[in-house]
Amino acid sequence: MEAQDYTLFESYLSGDLSKEEQIAFKARLDTDHAFKEAFTIYKEFSSNLEHSIGNEEKNADFKANLEAISAKYFNKETTTGNIESKKTFSLYKYAIAASVALIMGFFVYNQFSGGASYSDFNTHQTVDFSVRGSEGNVGLLIKTTKAFNNKEYEKARTYLEELLQDDPDNVEYNFYYAITNIELDNFAKAETTLEIISQGSSAYINRAKWYLALSKLKQDKNEACIAILKTIPADADDYSQALTLLKKIE
Amino acid sequence: MSEKKIHEDQKYVDGLVANNSFIIQAIYDTFVPKVINYIKQNSGDADQAQDIVQDTIITIYNQGSQKQLQLTCPFDAYFFLLCKRKWLNYLKKNNKKEVTINEEVLSKDDDAQELSFETSLFEDKQVLFNQMFQKLGAACKDLLKATFKTKSMEEVAKSLDISYAYARKKKSLCIGQLTKLVQESPSFNQLNY
Repeated sequence: MEAQDYTLFESYLSGDLSKEEQIAFKARLDTDHAFKEAFTIYKEFSSNLEHSIGNEEKNADFKANLEAISAKYFNKETTTGNIESKKTFSLYKYAIAASVALIMGFFVYNQFSGGASYSDFNTHQTVDFSVRGSEGNVGLLIKTTKAFNNKEYEKARTYLEELLQDDPDNVEYNFYYAITNIELDNFAKAETTLEIISQGSSAYINRAKWYLALSKLKQDKNEACIAILKTIPADADDYSQALTLLKKIE
Repeated sequence: MSEKKIHEDQKYVDGLVANNSFIIQAIYDTFVPKVINYIKQNSGDADQAQDIVQDTIITIYNQGSQKQLQLTCPFDAYFFLLCKRKWLNYLKKNNKKEVTINEEVLSKDDDAQELSFETSLFEDKQVLFNQMFQKLGAACKDLLKATFKTKSMEEVAKSLDISYAYARKKKSLCIGQLTKLVQESPSFNQLNY
């Protein structure tokens, strides 16, 4: 390749070519094998440099964190061997079995007791904000996750407000912010958010309806609750719960 | 490739890229025991397993960070194949005795085979790229370091006291030189370009 070819690669990658030039460039990639090969290496090398030089600190942080977790893991592995992990595993099994029994008992009890209250239904799914948020403030995402899952809703509210400041349209943050507000009895705020989500096009539409119903339930507005429950379609995640609740309060 | 559905286990790749400690810990707890067993059964020990696992995770992190990794298979199969291949290469390189491959743990998942192969190729390329970068002259090295560190060509030009146009041209020539070095290297033919 000649010097001008490399300059052309750079212009293409930084988006500095006109539409016509881009078309010509792509056409050449399709027909000129040597040109394509050189361009592929050029592009991959640029990406390598961008990562190894541009993310130098981030990469060092990652390696340090990985080494710490690895050291801890292998230390345990060599000192206690496999027996320990089997033990914890069976403990887990008992714990899970116990909780299943507890939950079943709980539902059976509720089935016959008639009436319903918010606290029968507010077992929120555990979340992990940090899994999906590959960018942004991971520390804050982890704090938010912990606070929410530990039912520390005052804290969760503060963190979520912080997250929403940077990313006001994030449906996931808004959704959990609404749940947090129901927990804290800020119903008007919660319901405004949930109504917007339930009319949107995200994956949270039906869950927003379910929580809207729960918000009404918590305020003993049973008629409003019933009306909303009836809008939840059969393929919604919360459908069976919605049905159970409906039977109780209708 | 791009038409295939991304597997839900992509969360492990994304979690690594985000340096998410929960995810890293989960990878160790869930997927690493199988690798340790395999290496121990094939003339290795726990220390060697630790290194193999760590190197493999760093490679996945690097590839994920460069947005070149979309998981279309379970992480389990993919990760195991990568570790296994790395271990077999290590044994080969060090003239260790022939291994007894435990067929039971071999994956039959085509996507995992293909994807883990791509990742191994990616790793080979990264190793070669880093070697070639070291061969570059000081002027090119400095310019590229400045370019990728500050990310604004205007600032780079200013700091090196050269014009914007010249800085950009120089950058493309330096990466061009690296491209040539890669093409001329003895291992180039194994890189599937």
